[in-house]
Amino acid sequence: MRSTTSILDKIFVKRFYLENVGFFLILFYLFFGTVNGANLISYHHALIRGFISSTGFLLIVLGIWTAYAIKCMWFVMKTLHSPGYDFLFSTMGSIPHRERKWHWVRIQTEIYLPVLIYSAVSIFIAVAEHRYIPAAIIAVVNILHCVWPLWLYERKIWKPDTIFFTGYIQQWINKHFIKPPVLFFIYELLTNFPMRIISTKLASTGVLWLTFLLLSRDQAFDLRGLQLGVICCALLHMQLMIHHRAFDDTYLSFMENLPIPLWKIYARLTGIYVLLFLPEILMIIVNAAHATSAVGIATVLITGISLMMVFRCLLYFPKMNTEIHIRYTLSISFVTLFMILAHYEWLAILLLQLAAATLFFSRYRKYEAYIDPDL
Amino acid sequence: MTLSTKIALKKNCVYISEFFIFTFLKHDHMSESVITLKNVRKAYQGNPVLEIPFLEVPVGIHWLKGQNGAGKTTCMKVIAGLIPFSGEILLREDISNKYNPVALRKAINYAEAEPLFPAYLTGNDLLALYMNTKGGDKDWINEVATQLGIHAYINFPVSSYSSGMLKKLSLLLAFTGTPQLILLDEPLITIDTAAVETLYGLIREKSEQGVSFIITSHQPIDESVIRLSGVLNVADKTITRN
Repeated sequence: MRSTTSILDKIFVKRFYLENVGFFLILFYLFFGTVNGANLISYHHALIRGFISSTGFLLIVLGIWTAYAIKCMWFVMKTLHSPGYDFLFSTMGSIPHRERKWHWVRIQTEIYLPVLIYSAVSIFIAVAEHRYIPAAIIAVVNILHCVWPLWLYERKIWKPDTIFFTGYIQQWINKHFIKPPVLFFIYELLTNFPMRIISTKLASTGVLWLTFLLLSRDQAFDLRGLQLGVICCALLHMQLMIHHRAFDDTYLSFMENLPIPLWKIYARLTGIYVLLFLPEILMIIVNAAHATSAVGIATVLITGISLMMVFRCLLYFPKMNTEIHIRYTLSISFVTLFMILAHYEWLAILLLQLAAATLFFSRYRKYEAYIDPDL
Repeated sequence: MTLSTKIALKKNCVYISEFFIFTFLKHDHMSESVITLKNVRKAYQGNPVLEIPFLEVPVGIHWLKGQNGAGKTTCMKVIAGLIPFSGEILLREDISNKYNPVALRKAINYAEAEPLFPAYLTGNDLLALYMNTKGGDKDWINEVATQLGIHAYINFPVSSYSSGMLKKLSLLLAFTGTPQLILLDEPLITIDTAAVETLYGLIREKSEQGVSFIITSHQPIDESVIRLSGVLNVADKTITRN
């Protein structure tokens, strides 16, 4: 009979590496494929020396390792929450306390192993170069990343409902607040797909950060550069829009029976995308306030929201799958970009708003989820 | 003829005239249509599943019968405005899906056979949403929630509900507002016997207030508890009245 350890390894560890083959291949290519073989060791030696000698660089590296630890943690939590894995609650719950904790630490350590190997080499180099403080920081952070998820796993075993907003906070919110429909999709993302929204927001704010960095190098602040960045941000939200449609189709069909006028539903849709775009809105206001006028900032923000509205409303064509959607969104983005470059930004906004409203009001009541007969 | 005989005769005349007026009104009330379907056609990926040239459903409680896959749920979803279709639906020969889609949704409530809601919403979130849009008597609906045993779980997310609890919540939501027609898709499955009794009581109570019902059920409906006005048969992509 197979041991509990090997069964848990099959459920968590092997599945993690199998499901992330693509991720590791890209990572492996970036780390070892892009560098000449003869310079590989010196390249990594220089890289490690770089982050053990610079606090800022070390913080970035630790941030990346933390993101990977969260990814590992999320995989375990998602497995526990997936249909078909309910048996883990009764079986893991029956294992003695100390033994179960040991299993959790082992699982987390095994899926966190790539970082542990790299950090062990870093510690070795840091100690060899008498940089004891960075070595200690790296050691402590990585040990913590193997241990802290244990608290969440234990909590999940005893409270299977909780995912992200755990325990008392969730209960308090449920008791004191009625969730308005405008927040349903954002709740869905935060509770069931936090990695999806976090990765989108990281990519989107990263694009904006790069945009502001490039703009700061120019003598004059060109608003069109920022608008280009915002177009990229809107495009990065496409994955969330496809998810939004699937969520509406699956879980919110009951709302079609509610007596809500179309204009209110449209206003709710606008509200959802304004809220989703809120981190970018704040980032733009903070970074562009000193460089451009309020009207300029408003132009940029409305362009971004208008684009997202059009992109979302295109999905009211049932046969609009991801591939076709990308073609349309890219085409619309190019037309918008050329209009912005020619200083027709307000005309572009007007046309985008008209397109979004026309698509919505003509398609919403006729829309029905399309099931591909070949599937 | 003595005075007492005259009085008795007069009383009888009054009773008889009241009986005729009541019977006439009742007959008129019964023959009045609650919902009319005109040239209703529904297809999935080009395959027609419903083709109803004309159907008038009178006021009352109707049992919608048909085999699995006959189109009962599709028919209910069409009437409730959940899915698009071609044709016209008229409520009380007045409110049209084409011209008054919001008013139609206010007057028709629907409880799904297998309700599905976002896992993180609480019963209270959903009840508030329905009460805010459909309206209705909050005290009465809270009383019904208590009768169904939902009140104790109202602040819990629906992900923690059993299938029976979820079904009870869906039924409770179908009684919000001031509907003229309530569509109940397999209301008797998964709920306990006490809840079945409560449901029958609610149907009776609302029916006496003039609310009509279309109910699908593979379980026989207890006609000693609720009086059926008729049976609607779904077969060969259409609906006929018995």
